[in-house]
Amino acid sequence: MKLLEMRHVKKEFEGLQVLKDISLSVEEGEVISIIGPSGSGKSTLLRCATMLEEMDSGELLYMGEYAARMQGDKCVYAPKGERKRLHRYFGLVFQNFNLFPHYSVMKNITDSLVSVDKIPKKEARERAVKLLEQLGLSEKQDAYPYQLSGGQQQRVSIARALARQPKILFFDEPTSALDPELTVEVLKVIKALAKEHMTMIIVTHEMQFAREVSDRIIFMEEGIIKEQGTPKELFETENERVREFIGHLAGK
Amino acid sequence: MMLLQLGKGMIVSIEIFMLTLLFSLPLGMLVAFGRMSRNCVLRGITKVYISIMRGTPLMLQLLVVYFGPYYVFKIRISNSYRFIAVIIAFAINYAAYFAEIYRSGIESMPIGQYEAAKVLGYGKAQTFFKIILPQVIKRILPAVTNEIITLVKDTSLAFAIAQAEMFTMAKQIAAAQTTILPLMVAGVFYYILNLAVAAVMERLEKACSYYR
Repeated sequence: MKLLEMRHVKKEFEGLQVLKDISLSVEEGEVISIIGPSGSGKSTLLRCATMLEEMDSGELLYMGEYAARMQGDKCVYAPKGERKRLHRYFGLVFQNFNLFPHYSVMKNITDSLVSVDKIPKKEARERAVKLLEQLGLSEKQDAYPYQLSGGQQQRVSIARALARQPKILFFDEPTSALDPELTVEVLKVIKALAKEHMTMIIVTHEMQFAREVSDRIIFMEEGIIKEQGTPKELFETENERVREFIGHLAGK
Repeated sequence: MMLLQLGKGMIVSIEIFMLTLLFSLPLGMLVAFGRMSRNCVLRGITKVYISIMRGTPLMLQLLVVYFGPYYVFKIRISNSYRFIAVIIAFAINYAAYFAEIYRSGIESMPIGQYEAAKVLGYGKAQTFFKIILPQVIKRILPAVTNEIITLVKDTSLAFAIAQAEMFTMAKQIAAAQTTILPLMVAGVFYYILNLAVAAVMERLEKACSYYR
């Protein structure tokens, strides 16, 4: 079952072609890392997938349902209600967490469940308690985001995304705002999720992590997918540019 | 006797103050929305409105609102219109200032808050009222406090159209009894009112200080 399909996605910002015809499909349980230099379009691809950005051209499907499709040469998005329904299939973890500072950890996690998804308060709380326990944050449920370390905040934002029980979870450079020590604690959480076969797409600069956790690594540059394959394939590729990039980041 | 008259004036001043806040705080929100609207006509209109309200004296605006109906439309103005004119002039003037404060607060919100809300499925109204507005209120409280304190003192401008508020009364008594005392007492009253305003606003700020 294809959870996500993106077909021939194109996106430009003020004349600059950021995505040039990208196609990508994701099977249930797959963990995909997207690597590449900055400005390569990785984040934009994620933002198109999560509908934070509208594609100029291309198609976007979740579970075989169209969020956007081509009609003639125009990209037409599904009506608002339809899109809102498709929003339930995915979650997104941001680089700088974007927790709601005026809500406690508990409310950050449960508020959207209660006020958007209309889940009873009690059930929402139970879900949150369970997730916080899994992520080692049980004591922090009444804390406010400013009282937490960056790593804890990112784990809360992962819990917030997971609480909605998405089919697929996107990570947009989840550790780029963290120091090495805190990076480790967040990567541990993502690894644990991979073990449970959570479907994930992770934009990251952590090569070693990508190698360990991914079923497939995609190397993007200049708005196209230059190379993709299993971690083994990518780390042993003949492609000079990919070798150079990976070697550079892996510190070899 | 003097205190009684000043006290009556003070009640009128407080009425002007309260009613102005009651109307201008929400009206300012509407103006702010217009100012940030994607519709360029609406944006243009509100921009000009704010510009005029901030760029001309409030005293002049008071006179225009009060005498305008007569001078322009030859409508006979009744005595009871005086107080209404004061409230209209103050409300539309202060709405312009509040609108700019709201706008600065709303535009200072990081885009990530909107994006996080969108991904979690919040609708536009929910995002605004649950996520954005509470944080905006915290951010703009100091600026709003400033404006409210100015309003307390500005109520004395109603003197320009002979509304019998505290300052008008003080000046009348001072002239009649050739003493400066009523003006001093009025000054003390304004000061005490503003102490109260400052105290209330400080409590509000404290109530919002549980997060950063």
